[in-house]
Amino acid sequence: MSADRRARVLALLSAHGPGVDRLCAACVAHLPGISGAGLAVMTTLPASGTRYVSDEASARIEELQFELGEGPCVDAFAAGRPVMVPDLSGRQYQLRWPAFAVGAVAAGVRAVFAFPLQLGAIRIGVLDLYRDRPGGLADEEIADALVFADTVTLLLLAEDHAEGDWQVSAYDEHRTVVHQATGMVMAQLGGTIRGAFDRLRAHAYAEDRPLDDVADDVVKRRLRFDQFTD
Amino acid sequence: MQREQNLAEAFVELADTLVADFDVVDFLHVLANRCVDLLGVQTAGLMLADQRGQLRLMASSSEQSRLLELFELEIDEGPCLTCYHTGQPTADTNLEQPDARWPRFGRQAGAAGFGSVHALPLRLRAEIIGVLNLFCAAAEPLRDQDARMGQALADVATIGLLQHRAIEHRQVLAEQLQGALNSRVLVEQAKGVLAERLHLGMPEAFHALRTHARRNNQRLSDIAQAIIDGTIDTTHFVSS
Repeated sequence: MSADRRARVLALLSAHGPGVDRLCAACVAHLPGISGAGLAVMTTLPASGTRYVSDEASARIEELQFELGEGPCVDAFAAGRPVMVPDLSGRQYQLRWPAFAVGAVAAGVRAVFAFPLQLGAIRIGVLDLYRDRPGGLADEEIADALVFADTVTLLLLAEDHAEGDWQVSAYDEHRTVVHQATGMVMAQLGGTIRGAFDRLRAHAYAEDRPLDDVADDVVKRRLRFDQFTD
Repeated sequence: MQREQNLAEAFVELADTLVADFDVVDFLHVLANRCVDLLGVQTAGLMLADQRGQLRLMASSSEQSRLLELFELEIDEGPCLTCYHTGQPTADTNLEQPDARWPRFGRQAGAAGFGSVHALPLRLRAEIIGVLNLFCAAAEPLRDQDARMGQALADVATIGLLQHRAIEHRQVLAEQLQGALNSRVLVEQAKGVLAERLHLGMPEAFHALRTHARRNNQRLSDIAQAIIDGTIDTTHFVSS
């Protein structure tokens, strides 16, 4: 993480964390071009739950996608990339999601921006932002939305942890060695990729070591996770 | 003549990847390797802007961890960061002489045995979406023809990444870039799984992954996902 981006993430977490719903509310407040937000949590489709909605229109977006199994949120999660829809009344979107587009527009939703919450194969949900009038997001808004999505991702990943202090430590979750170590730990322990990532982070936290240091030990085969019994 | 032949082969190989089932991770990996062949440099790395103000490593011609670390260090301080901010080719042509702009990076790059480092922008009209980073043993500027070809390869990377012509839509750019960045993470995670299961180093694991993807005409990221989901049998993945 660049110092600037990390500072923004930490500031958001300090101001609004650890509750993910407070963070989502802050996202809506902080992005003037956004009318509302919804947070869907899932490890596979269909969504297992909606963790947050800011208003009725957001609730309707989540409801429609869950019921119909179609929509920008569904596509964003499946494809592992954001889906940005500047105007839902546009023909290509009506063709792509016929039932969703009609229902969403009827609820007052004109633009939707779905950001998958993910770290490679670790997929935990989608953050859906909407606007009640057509128009795309400006570069600054995209950057801000991505930082919010990253922060929500970190918060959700920390939730399962008995990490007491959920504080985002000074690691950069985007180091290559961290991803490789995650895969290795998954192969060592069995279980899910998310479980492997959680174990790595828990170990780093317990040992008070940076995550990428621990990851380096794993990749260099100085540390294995099948010898631990906890 | 040999260089022209290499160049022709490089462009054919790259063009082959620009098809319906485009595999962005593989494409950038091929490009990084071809830079080493064509430009007389020792190591090439491709960084992409993550749209949150930072560069991230997307592909490297070498899997050696010390080189990956060097690339990742340069993301915070180095010619590639300056190139990203200014949009101009930026170089340190003599790593032995400390440069106040990147003291830590300069020392580490020099200690790794390189004489110079050159950063070329990936440009999309007025926007810089990434950097092509070249490490050389020689402590001198790139030759003119190498600098020109390097920029041409960087431009090919940009074209390959952004397959929509109507890129005035910021949304499409965001979708493509974020998708590419996440695909790479997925591939790195799968490399870890393979390395552990088949008792391989990371370069061999990557090679096994690529070989399987090519043999079965599938995308690296799709194979990577299948490995992590457990829907593919990895016991017969070859490592050579």
